[in-house]
Amino acid sequence: MNLRLVLNVVGRVMLIETLTLLFPLAVALIYGESPLPFLYTMAILAILGAVLSALPAKQSFFAREGFCTVGLIWLLTGTAGALPFYFSGAFPSFVDCIFESFSGFTTTGATILTDVEALPRGIQFWRCFSHWLGGMGVLILATAVLPSLSGQSQHLARAETPGPFVLKLVPRQPRTSKILYGIYCAMTLLVIVLLCAAGLPLYDAAVHAFSIAGTGGFSSKNASFAFYADPAVDLIVSVFTLLFSLNFGLFYLALCRRFREIWKSEELRFFLLVVTLATVLIAWDLDPVYHQGVLESLRYAFFHVTSVISTSGFFTEDYALWPHFSQMVLVLLMFCGSCSNSTGGGIKCARVLILLRALRRELHRLVHPKAVEVIRLDGRVVEDRAVRTVLVFLGCYMLILCGAGLIISLDGYSFSISFSSALASLSNVGPGLELVGPTGNFSALSPLSKLVMSACMVIGRLEIFPILILLTPSAWRHI
Amino acid sequence: MNIIIVGCGKVGFSLAEQLVREKHNITIMDQNEETLQRAGDQMDVMTVRGSGSSVQDLRQAGADEADLLVAAASSDEVNMVCCLLAKNLGTRHTIARIRNPEYISSLADLRRNLNIDMVINPENATAVEISRLLRFPAAANIESFCRGRVELIGFRLQEGDFLADKPLRELSSQIKSMPLLFCAADRDGTVFIPNGAFVPKAGDQMYVVGQPAALDRFFVLLGRYAPTAKKVFLVGGGKVSLYLAHILDKLGMHLKIVERDEARCRMISEKFPRAIVICADGTDSDLLESENLASYDAFVALTDRDEDNLIISLYAMQLGLSKVITKCTRQNYAGIVRSLGLDSIVSPKFITASHILHVVRGLQNSQGSVMNSLHRIADGNAEAMDFTVGPSTRHLGVPLKDLQLRSGILLAVIVRGKEIIIPEGSTCLMENDRVIIIARESGILDLNDIYEDEFPFPAPGSTAL
Repeated sequence: MNLRLVLNVVGRVMLIETLTLLFPLAVALIYGESPLPFLYTMAILAILGAVLSALPAKQSFFAREGFCTVGLIWLLTGTAGALPFYFSGAFPSFVDCIFESFSGFTTTGATILTDVEALPRGIQFWRCFSHWLGGMGVLILATAVLPSLSGQSQHLARAETPGPFVLKLVPRQPRTSKILYGIYCAMTLLVIVLLCAAGLPLYDAAVHAFSIAGTGGFSSKNASFAFYADPAVDLIVSVFTLLFSLNFGLFYLALCRRFREIWKSEELRFFLLVVTLATVLIAWDLDPVYHQGVLESLRYAFFHVTSVISTSGFFTEDYALWPHFSQMVLVLLMFCGSCSNSTGGGIKCARVLILLRALRRELHRLVHPKAVEVIRLDGRVVEDRAVRTVLVFLGCYMLILCGAGLIISLDGYSFSISFSSALASLSNVGPGLELVGPTGNFSALSPLSKLVMSACMVIGRLEIFPILILLTPSAWRHI
Repeated sequence: MNIIIVGCGKVGFSLAEQLVREKHNITIMDQNEETLQRAGDQMDVMTVRGSGSSVQDLRQAGADEADLLVAAASSDEVNMVCCLLAKNLGTRHTIARIRNPEYISSLADLRRNLNIDMVINPENATAVEISRLLRFPAAANIESFCRGRVELIGFRLQEGDFLADKPLRELSSQIKSMPLLFCAADRDGTVFIPNGAFVPKAGDQMYVVGQPAALDRFFVLLGRYAPTAKKVFLVGGGKVSLYLAHILDKLGMHLKIVERDEARCRMISEKFPRAIVICADGTDSDLLESENLASYDAFVALTDRDEDNLIISLYAMQLGLSKVITKCTRQNYAGIVRSLGLDSIVSPKFITASHILHVVRGLQNSQGSVMNSLHRIADGNAEAMDFTVGPSTRHLGVPLKDLQLRSGILLAVIVRGKEIIIPEGSTCLMENDRVIIIARESGILDLNDIYEDEFPFPAPGSTAL
C-alpha cells in the first residue's frame, strides 16, 4: 500500500477539519465562552495536518488505498473531535469524550451525558455540528473543496457513501460532491428557517437543524423535542428526517425535473411502504391504552417511526415504556435503516430489497433447479457479484452485532439493554431500550463497552469494509 | 466538455483516460458490466450500462446535452446508428469508428447522410503510419505537417554518433545551417526540450523537425540513411495488414504476407495478386527462416497478440533486418520494448486517441487560432501541434527574443508561404503563418497559450481571446 500518499491525503483532510472548527469557535466567542478548547484542538490538528500533507509521495492510488484512507480518516476525525470535549472539562473521562465524538460524527446520537443543557453553548454546537459534517461525509466535503484530491476523489467518495451502489450524479466526482453538499446545505437552511418560523430561537433551530440533516439525534435539550411539545415542530422534524433519509440522487433528479424517474425508484417506494406500515401498526397498538384519539396516536407513531428508521433517535415520548409490540417494530426498523446514499444509517432499504429478491430467487430455484433468473433493482440488473457483496455485508453485520452484544453483556445488564445498545450503535440510531432508552443515557456502561460501541458506530457508518480492511494484514503489506 | 464514449474497448478506454486527464466530463457506455466496473475503478468517469443503438440508453447517458459522442463499439453498424441517434437527440458532434474495408468507398456518402462529423479508422491510420516508416526507414517515428512539407522524425542516438556526448551548440556549421531543429529528446521516459547546452547521450530518442530534404541530408551525414524499403515481410493478415498491403502495393513494393487462416489467405491473395501469401504460423522461426526473412528490407509484425509481435520482431532484428516495425497495443510495454532495441512501435489505439484528441481540442477552441493537427510523440509524453496564426494571435510582429514563452514549450518551425523558417531571436510571427509547436505538457488549445504572460494555464473549455 502507498502509505505515504494515504497519510498525505489524511493530512490534507485534517487541515479541512481545522477550518470546520471555526464555526463552533465563533459560537463560543459570540456567547462569551472560553474559546480555548477549540483553539487547542485547531492547533493540534493544524500541526498534524501540515506535517502529514507535506509528505512527498508517489501518485499511485487505488481502491485499497481509498478504503484505508477513509477508515483512517474517520478514526482520526472521531478522535480529534473528542479533543474540544476533553479540553472543555465538561466530560467525566477521555473515553466518554471519544464516545460522544464518534456518536456525533457517525450521526448516532447516543450520549453519556446526563445533563446536556449544562454544557457550554460552543460545545453543544460542536456536538450537533459534527452530526452535520458526518452526515454527508467528511471526505465528500474534502473532495468538493480540495481540487488537489481530484485524482483520488472517486476512491474516497466510493468508500464513504453508504449503500450498495456508487452514487455519481455527474461524470466528475468533485462536481458530484459539490452538488451533494449544495443540496445538503440548502435543505439544512430550509429546516432552520422552518424551525424559526415555528417559534424556536435561532440557536436552537440551527443546532437541531444540523442534527436533523445528519439524521443524528443530539439535541441541546435534555428532553429532546418533547421540550417544545408542539405538533408543528414534530411535523417539521418528522418530514425532514424522512427527507434526509432518502437517496440524495433523487433530489438531484428533482432538480433536473425528471420526476418520473424518482417514482421509478423501488427503494423509495419500499421505504415509504415500510414507514406507512410501521406508523399504522404502532398507532393501532398505542391507541387503546395510551393516547387520546387516532390523530394523537398517529402523531407520536409517525414521529418515532421516522426518527428510528432514519436512524436519528429523536424522541417526544419515552418509547422504552411503550407496549412490547411497538418496541419490537422499532427494533426491526433499526435493522432496516434508511435509503442508500442518504445521511442515515442501518442496513439500507436497497440491501433489504436485494436480500428479499435473492431469497425469492433461491426459492424459485428449488422449484425449477435449472432456472436462470437475474435480480433487478429499479429495472436495472444487479450483477451476481453485487448480490454476493450485499449478502456478505449482511452476514458481517449480524456477526459484528452479536460480538458487540456479547462484550457489552459483560457489564451485567439485561439482554435487551446489551443487545439494543449494540444494535443502536451499529445502525447509528442512538438510544436503545430500557435503561439506555430515549430518556436514559450510556454513562452507566463500562469504558470497554463504550469503546466497543464507538467502534460499532464507525463500522456502521462506513458500512464495515473500510474499517475491517485496516485490520487486514495483507492490505498493509506490499503485495 | 461533456463527452460520451460508447464502447469501452482498447480505443475507448485509452481515449477516456486521456480525456479525463484533460478535465472533461466523460460518460462511458458499454454493455459489459465488468468492463464498466474496471473503467469506473480506474478513472473518474460516469458509467452507463446500455447499447449504443438504443435511444433510451443514449438519453440516460445524457446524449441530449453532450458536446461530443465517440462511437467506438465493436460493430461499425452500431457506431453509425449510434451517431445518427445521438445527433437526433441533440449531441453537437459525433465521431464514429468505422473500420470495415467494405465501407471505405462509401465513406463520404455515409458521413453526409448520417451526419457524422468525423470517421476514424484505427487500422487504416496505423497502416498509413507504417507505410510512412517504410518509406523512410531511418526514422523510428515520423509525423508529417503541412501536407508533408515539414516532417518530425524520431530516431535513437547510437554509440559513436557524432551527435553524442557534446552540447548541441558545438555542432558543425554545416548542420547548423540546415533548416532543421532538434526539438525534443526522450531519455528513459523523461522528455527534454533541448537548448544549445543540451548534451545528447547514446540511447536518447531524439526528435528532429525540418524540411524532408534537409532531414535526408542530415541522416546521410549521420551515416544512418537507408533507402525506401523495397521488399517487405508482413506477419499477420488482419485489417491493418490489408490496409497496409493496399498502400504498399500501390507504391510497387514487393510483399510477402504470412497468415495462419487459410480462408483469409485466399482472400488476401485474391486482392493482391502480386503479393506472395503464405498460409502458416508466422510465429514459427523455422518458417520465417525457410521463407528467407533475412533477405528482406523490412519486417512488420501485425498479429493480434502483442507478445507474439514482440518476440518475432526481436527475432527479425537478430537476423539483421534494417527495419523492424511492431504493432503493440499495450502502451505500458513501450519502455521495456525500447530497451530491447525495438524502436518502431505502432499502436492503433494510441494513434486513434491522438486523432480524436485533436478534434476535441479543436472543438474546445472554436474561436482562436486554428489547430491543424496534433501528434503525440515520445510515448505521449510530449505533443507536436500545427497552428495557423490568426488575427487574434497576440504579439504578432514582435521578435521572439522579446517574448517569454512558457517553459516546456518550443516554437519549432514557421512555414510562411513557400519558406520554411527555423525561428531565431529576431524572427517574428505574422498572420497566416503556420507554426509547429512542441509542448512537454498537454492541454495547449490555442497559440496564445504558449506565452508566459497572463493566462497561466487554459481552464477547461476556455477560449482565449
